[in-house]
Amino acid sequence: MISRLRELWSYRELVWTLVVRDLKVRYKNSMLGFLWSLLNPLLLMLVFTVVFTVMLPSLETPRFPVFVLSALLPWNFFSSSVLSGVNAITGNGHLIKKVYFPREILVISSVLANLVNLLLALPVLFVLMAVMGVPFTPVLLYLPVIMFVQLIFTIGIVLILSTTNVFYRDVSVIMEVVMQAWFFLTPVFYSVDLLPEIATIGTLVLPIRRLLYILNPMASIVASYRSVLYGFTNGSPPAAPAWDFFSRTAVTAVVVLVVGYWYFTKKSHRFGEEV
Amino acid sequence: MAAIELEDVVKSFSMRSGGAGSFQDIFVDLFRGRKWRKEHQRDFDALKGVSFAIEYGEMVGVIGSNGSGKSTCLKLVSRIIEPTSGAIRVNGRVAALLELGAGFHPELSGRENVFLYGSVLGIKRSEMAKRFDSIVQFAELERFIDVPVKFYSSGMYIRLAFATAINVDAEILLVDEVLAVGDQRFQNKCLERISELKRAGVTIMFVTHNLADVRTMCDRAIWLDQGLLVDDGPAESVISAYLEHVYQMEEAADLEIRDALAADSHLGATAAFDDGLETEANDRLAGRGRGRWGSGEAEITDVRFMDAKGEDRLLLTSGEPASILFHYHAHEPIADPMFGFAIYRSDGTHIAGPNSVFAGMEIAQIEGHGIVRYEMESLPLLPGTYYLTVSLCDHSGVHTYDYRDYWYRFRVMAQQGRDHYGLVYIPASWSHAVDSSEEQA
Repeated sequence: MISRLRELWSYRELVWTLVVRDLKVRYKNSMLGFLWSLLNPLLLMLVFTVVFTVMLPSLETPRFPVFVLSALLPWNFFSSSVLSGVNAITGNGHLIKKVYFPREILVISSVLANLVNLLLALPVLFVLMAVMGVPFTPVLLYLPVIMFVQLIFTIGIVLILSTTNVFYRDVSVIMEVVMQAWFFLTPVFYSVDLLPEIATIGTLVLPIRRLLYILNPMASIVASYRSVLYGFTNGSPPAAPAWDFFSRTAVTAVVVLVVGYWYFTKKSHRFGEEV
Repeated sequence: MAAIELEDVVKSFSMRSGGAGSFQDIFVDLFRGRKWRKEHQRDFDALKGVSFAIEYGEMVGVIGSNGSGKSTCLKLVSRIIEPTSGAIRVNGRVAALLELGAGFHPELSGRENVFLYGSVLGIKRSEMAKRFDSIVQFAELERFIDVPVKFYSSGMYIRLAFATAINVDAEILLVDEVLAVGDQRFQNKCLERISELKRAGVTIMFVTHNLADVRTMCDRAIWLDQGLLVDDGPAESVISAYLEHVYQMEEAADLEIRDALAADSHLGATAAFDDGLETEANDRLAGRGRGRWGSGEAEITDVRFMDAKGEDRLLLTSGEPASILFHYHAHEPIADPMFGFAIYRSDGTHIAGPNSVFAGMEIAQIEGHGIVRYEMESLPLLPGTYYLTVSLCDHSGVHTYDYRDYWYRFRVMAQQGRDHYGLVYIPASWSHAVDSSEEQA
């Protein structure tokens, strides 16, 4: 394992080259190029703002555009990482079949390329915050930590999905539906506070809010972003994410990464003949 | 320490009907049981326990028919696939040119791909920049280096791939049948460069069907057949053994067809000159029987080839005694016949056209069955495939009884250690002497 990680480190330049390649290829044949990574979330934000402040005005969330965008950006990072990353191995057959290198580099660089998009889009959010009068507070310093935890979690998930997709190509198709569902199960365009504490389905009593956080690490990650960037729907200013709550999420992310990497290394020796 | 070492390497591929797996497999497992699927899923053993070692600086050609495991071998050495069992040790930086290309991304330009390939091999960008010019120059792609690779022709693609692979200072170079693409001039340039690399001490493993390249460039050859190592040794002797094997396999198949044909004609016995079945079977044997004509009073019923031991063969050895036997059947008495034949090389070159009258053999009359024999003390033909046109006509050659054009095929294989350039073997001897008169002057 140690030697594998050492080998991975020796290939760090390749990671960067592949990130650049991914970004170049993605924007090569589009006129607006990388502007799309800014326009896309902005347009979505516009749609949500229209729906939830004009068409459904009863919710009355203050500074709704910031509320949505602060969650939409990290969600988009996750969702596009998963949807492109699931093909990270199968889509690079031309490389895998011709030359040896640690295959996990393909997954890592695919996720990192999406992280670059997130980093490029953040300034837009900051501008929006300034315009809408959201205070910039020292808790913003938590942002890199939260991003790092999300990065770990995302790489772990993509390691698992991209590996499975090599053997069962159905995965990439299924994931499109799964990501739709996951989006609705993650508090992006709504606040967790809106959910009932406890829901009863027939005779089943479910602590919905707790379950959401426990079962969906993305819910906690998105909530953490929102907590440091936007604050709260009752108007209180941004605050650091609760320590115990966030450390549980971090542990989950590390576990997912370790399991994902273990699974990946167990299967990667067959990639050369299966892609 | 050897550069490349394979120890009892086994590689089997599971062959599923649908290519890559799908959830269908899981459902099949659920309903019919995993055992059922395993039984109906055949495994293919590409390598069945192969061991060899290649020392630093050696250039080794891997030869064998399709499906012998050559490419699998190369993929294992390049770590693209891993062995089912056994061990592979590779010590040094490997550059591989496998099945057309280096793994370029179609959307990226040639320039970007060169740098990408470099970093895939673990070479720093700055290092790669130093080599960039010589790569482009070698590939002769100065004008197109900033064009996306998807617009490249296959020749341009392979030129860039080759130029990149030989410029990354690999200690071990793996080349799989890539030189088949690209024009003759570029192929020669590549072979020249490979020889240079060899002189510079690079270890080279070379898979090809072009035995001439192996013969001229490799010190050593490894012959694989159906996943097993058959022979490993000096290139020349391994190639001869391989060729002999190939020819014998072909001869066995040819003999089978010929005998099936003979059985058919006995059944028919109609002697119809353009009997559909006979022509078709003959075509298969001859490759291209071009036609048969004549008045038919007498027929050439069969032509047989005999080796030095007097055995019926379709494969003769260059330089050894051989005979050609013409079986005829004259339906009525024919006076002063002339037997003749012509030998063509497979590319159509007319090599010889002897006949019995030129040779001074007078036959007063033929009737019924008989055999005319043409004996050679030493077969002058060099290795290759040859066709025979035979004719039976009157003494002047004006009236033709039977003419079978391009009708019979035989092959010739080399005798160990003899010339193989050109068309024929000329029995001659060499000698040498110092010109003492010039020396004094």
